[in-house]
Amino acid sequence: MRALSITACLGLALTGAAPALAQEADVAKPPPVNWSFSGPFGTFDRAALQRGWQVYNEVCSGCHSMKYMSYRNLAGIGLTPAQIKAVAASKTVPGAPDDSGQPTTRPALPSDRFVSPFPNPEAAKAALGAVPPDQSLLELARPDGANYIHALVGLGYVDPPKGVKVPDGFYYNKYFPVKLIKMPPPLSDGSVTYADGTKATVEQEARDVVTFLTYVANPDMEQRKHLGIRVVGFLVLLTGVTYMVKKRIWSDVHGHHDDGHHGDGQTHA
Amino acid sequence: MAGLHKSEIQNPVLNWIDTRLPLITLMQKEYGSFPTPKNFNYFWNFGALATINLMVMIATGVFLAMNYDPSATGAFDSIQRIMRDVNYGWLLRYIHMNGATMFFAIIYIHIFRGMYYGSYKAPRELLWITGVFLFLLLMATAFLGYVLPWGQMSYWGATVITNLFSAVPLVGNWIVTLLWGGFSVADPTLNRFFALHYLLPFVITGVVFLHVVALHITGSNNPLGIDVKSEQDTVPFHPYYTAKDSVGMCVYFLIFACFVFFAPNYFGEPDNFIQANPLQTPAAIVPEWYFLPYYAILRAVPDKLMGVALMFSSILVWFILPWLDTSPVRSARFRPIYRAMMVVLVADMFLLGAVGAHHPMGIWILLGRVGTAWYFLHFCALPFIGYLEKPLPLPESISNPVLRDYQGPGGSGGGPLPAGAAAKPMEKP
Amino acid sequence: MSSTAVPVHQEAEFQGTTRRDFLTLLALAGAGVGVAAVAWPFIDSLEPAADTLAAGEPLDVDVSKIAPGQQIVVMWRGKPIFLVHRTPQAIKTLQSPKLLSILSDPNSHVAQQPTYAQNWHRSILPEFAVMVGICTHLGCVPGFFPNPSPTDPAPNWPGGYLCPCHGSKYDLAGRVYLGVPAPYNLPVPPYRVMSPTMLRIGENPEGSDFDLNSVVQI
Repeated sequence: MRALSITACLGLALTGAAPALAQEADVAKPPPVNWSFSGPFGTFDRAALQRGWQVYNEVCSGCHSMKYMSYRNLAGIGLTPAQIKAVAASKTVPGAPDDSGQPTTRPALPSDRFVSPFPNPEAAKAALGAVPPDQSLLELARPDGANYIHALVGLGYVDPPKGVKVPDGFYYNKYFPVKLIKMPPPLSDGSVTYADGTKATVEQEARDVVTFLTYVANPDMEQRKHLGIRVVGFLVLLTGVTYMVKKRIWSDVHGHHDDGHHGDGQTHA
Repeated sequence: MAGLHKSEIQNPVLNWIDTRLPLITLMQKEYGSFPTPKNFNYFWNFGALATINLMVMIATGVFLAMNYDPSATGAFDSIQRIMRDVNYGWLLRYIHMNGATMFFAIIYIHIFRGMYYGSYKAPRELLWITGVFLFLLLMATAFLGYVLPWGQMSYWGATVITNLFSAVPLVGNWIVTLLWGGFSVADPTLNRFFALHYLLPFVITGVVFLHVVALHITGSNNPLGIDVKSEQDTVPFHPYYTAKDSVGMCVYFLIFACFVFFAPNYFGEPDNFIQANPLQTPAAIVPEWYFLPYYAILRAVPDKLMGVALMFSSILVWFILPWLDTSPVRSARFRPIYRAMMVVLVADMFLLGAVGAHHPMGIWILLGRVGTAWYFLHFCALPFIGYLEKPLPLPESISNPVLRDYQGPGGSGGGPLPAGAAAKPMEKP
Repeated sequence: MSSTAVPVHQEAEFQGTTRRDFLTLLALAGAGVGVAAVAWPFIDSLEPAADTLAAGEPLDVDVSKIAPGQQIVVMWRGKPIFLVHRTPQAIKTLQSPKLLSILSDPNSHVAQQPTYAQNWHRSILPEFAVMVGICTHLGCVPGFFPNPSPTDPAPNWPGGYLCPCHGSKYDLAGRVYLGVPAPYNLPVPPYRVMSPTMLRIGENPEGSDFDLNSVVQI
């Protein structure tokens, strides 16, 4: 059985190494950030969430939709019902047709979904030249999403290396897989004035907006980890107890492994 | 009252029921006092774990189906609704998603046990064959299920795999049209895949029943591969294996919980968080990890029909394993060559898995072909290995681990195989 | 090698120690707790989801557009809600002895309305009626016939509702007639007056507490 375990380990190592082998040699790996939400005990930094929401609301939402979020979901980042009502009321959504069948508009309610900047992808493409991806699941839709998005918008817009020509309508970003991205640098120092007074550098804005995007993609995360600790703790204890019961029940069986006889014809010395 | 079962239950109400529908007596006989070899190792836990996993999948699946919308326009959105708005919807979904991974991990270990210890040999051929059939049903169920979220990988994986069937001569294109219900993977496809995904687990349950009946007729194999000789070799299933299986179950739930609560998307593909787009193919179409070896075999040869044939053959060959392997010895513990071959086969499966995860370029093409060739070589070699191999001396019985004709250190060892060590056509338990 | 007469594992079953029973009991209890804990999310997932609850939030209705004698119907929590702008004449008729004598529950004794609507006009403001438009017989939506008429839709019609399914009749305060299949007055939902032109359906006035599910028959 030993040979088998070694083979299994080698095999797992090979498959584990596979993604690394599959990458192109010159794709820049996003630097890992020490996120507050990493690890089994991670939580979302509420202040960062609210700053990140501010960045999305004031900068990103001009081009990017977030269609799976409703205004009432902002309770999860710590906004009060009054604040949520105010945010919603500041947006306009289609209303019910009027008596002559004409479309109307109304202020949004907390139960409404986030308003999209464009009615459909075609309008977005016509206005911008490309369709900005919806951001509801973006953190999950990219490998190592949080670190990648942070690197892309916070660190990636650098001068192209010597000799690389950037065509019109494109920008050079060192973390984008094909380097040439259609999105202009979305963040700059002071793009937003943070309500809590934090200095708004590009890197800070990137960090905060990624925290917010990670929350939007994983709103269950804190409840999930909290419940997970209890479930795993309970199961560790239960495993221990059932194992003790099993050993006691089996203690009187001859020919079982633990009483000095091997089942394969060899006896202990 | 002729023909009524004579129940031995004391309680009068239970006795009345049991006389007319002897479920209690049945459970006592099949899972209470059932004589089970006493030398099982933890590999024997995995059949029970698979049954538990099946029940978990059906339970979570039914509750997910209460909120799922099987239409091309609504499916992706309905899953987001489950994740965000349905109470504990995220938990149901993550259990179901990771449950599929757990199911295949359990089944692969379960199959390995069967292959290593010769559980497929006489008289357990039909136990093995129902098992292979169950594996095929499981793969079909998993494939159908993966399409339902209607992400990019769902859509394009469905497109690639359904297109394979066009390789079938004469009726291939017709089969593909019937699968699609249209001119491509679209709304009708999703709807029928949902109906079938809901149906197949219940077909699996039925075949599991047959699988367990087959097991109870022949009795279980054991790590030594030799038959039970007397009551001494066995213990009643309860409490010995109910207790031992409970330990295994706790460990299974523990591992399961670690993934569900702390790494729920570890086995997932980021691309499947993007809604299906028929106009944009993802950079890499990869199936879930448990299909990777067969994906590698499919792409090992350039010809479409050969690739499909080889891929299906790689599983279909398992059906004839009881007859391919000619060795009279069951357990690999006593078969040095076969044991080495099993180690290599496992390594080969891992290799093929890695190949399946990569684009068929460069070294991966060669590795894929080598891996596929070895895989089939393993099974083709078995008939010969059975005759050429010199097995190690077998113990007298499970209880009596002393070797028959044991001649001490330096002695020639071995001798004629003790009665019951070899697979016999039919032997009373 | 012959075996001993009594298999050893059977002997062990006759020994009992407190520690053994405690461990087994603990394991079984743990398993029981585990099963219950696992069952809970399944049951809870059947409760209305967050988006369903959000859609059932209170609804603001602008009643200034309703002409006297007219009714509008809005949907709230999947139910039709009648909002009627009653004319002074209609309000007067609500108190007429002739009408009261043919009603089954003229004083709204049966709990089909909040306490703030337990009066002769079954509403907060007499000029606006707010009722759940579901017949208390078998659930059809009653038809609106506000104008008094000697013949139409029924003889000596004072103005009110006539249910098309089995002929139940209600007045313009939703009070049910005697001798019709429907047993109770139309329910009044929780609502409050935000301003002379705005009613909020689904929310009680400050200090009041009323749940529509507490009525006898919706």
